Amino acid sequence: MSGTAYDWTALPHGMRAALGVPGIVMAASFIGFGALVRGLEVGLLAGVLSTPLIWALPGQVVFVNMYAEGAGLAAIGLGVTLTAVRLLPMVVLVISKVRVEGGSRLALYALSHFIAVTIWRVAEDGMDHEERPRRLPWLMGAGLALMASMIVMTCAGYVLAQVLTPLLAACLMFLTPSFFFISLFAGAKFTMDYVSIALGAVIGPVVYRFYPELDLIAAGLVGGTLAYVVTRIGRRKP
Amino acid sequence: MTDTIGLVGVILAAGWATTYVWRFVGVYIGQRMAPDSELLMWVRAVATALVSALVVRLLLVPPGMLGHTSLEARVVAMAAGVAGFYLFGRGIGAAVAVAAVSLFLVTWVFGA
Repeated sequence: MSGTAYDWTALPHGMRAALGVPGIVMAASFIGFGALVRGLEVGLLAGVLSTPLIWALPGQVVFVNMYAEGAGLAAIGLGVTLTAVRLLPMVVLVISKVRVEGGSRLALYALSHFIAVTIWRVAEDGMDHEERPRRLPWLMGAGLALMASMIVMTCAGYVLAQVLTPLLAACLMFLTPSFFFISLFAGAKFTMDYVSIALGAVIGPVVYRFYPELDLIAAGLVGGTLAYVVTRIGRRKP
Repeated sequence: MTDTIGLVGVILAAGWATTYVWRFVGVYIGQRMAPDSELLMWVRAVATALVSALVVRLLLVPPGMLGHTSLEARVVAMAAGVAGFYLFGRGIGAAVAVAAVSLFLVTWVFGA
């Protein structure tokens, strides 16, 4: 990663920021994931490796489930890639926020590996006060800290699987959807954002009934486009 | 040892590459979009609606252990979390805790 366009002194700041609420919430999910890996009897290694390599929980859950069933390489790949399409708009948004003129492209492609829902929310909620050259290193620090921690949490969940009561495990698993949903409200700046939340929540289940694999993409495209169009008039830039 | 190498190969091919391809495309597009452009506003709406739909799916079709709670309990707990966000000075951490504790209490009192 060459060039002086980025201010890498921001990296440890990002690490510290990530290890607050997002880290705790994510830890709960990965403990849940580790427990799932134990239950599927695919071995700890498959679960642990999927954390840094896939780094998106829905894809990881699909991976270990299909791997446990003995599905073929192509089938697993298709299942995982369908869950990963949703990362595309988040990556676009994060990249447009962190890129600087003359900055290394390699750094952008490296950063993108860390981007999933949590990092997108971390970027939306906590990065705006950082100067532009500090943003990519800041977020890279956040991603590195979270990834290292979640590898440990996957193992912890694998070990804790027999200790947790079902209700306690359910409450831990509930932290992640709660964090996703509440942070959407926290990051909402325009009427459009609230309309998007409402339309996504309504359209998703309807599509799921007929095309369970496409519900998220369809809810995003249809709900998001509708929200954008109906709030277009009268919206002013902040 | 060969098993381990085989497993790494499977994860790289069927897990990492199939996920990273979308991140790669995202970087390619993101580099070419002007910040504050209307196109980016639309992308923001799409991403927001998509994550909202993801949350609702997790409520309706709960994975793993989350299925040990009732739909009513999950919906009430999520609503309590959002309400908590506005009641407790817009703190995300406190609101998330309200959601999880609500799920615990509602399930404990009314049963799964």
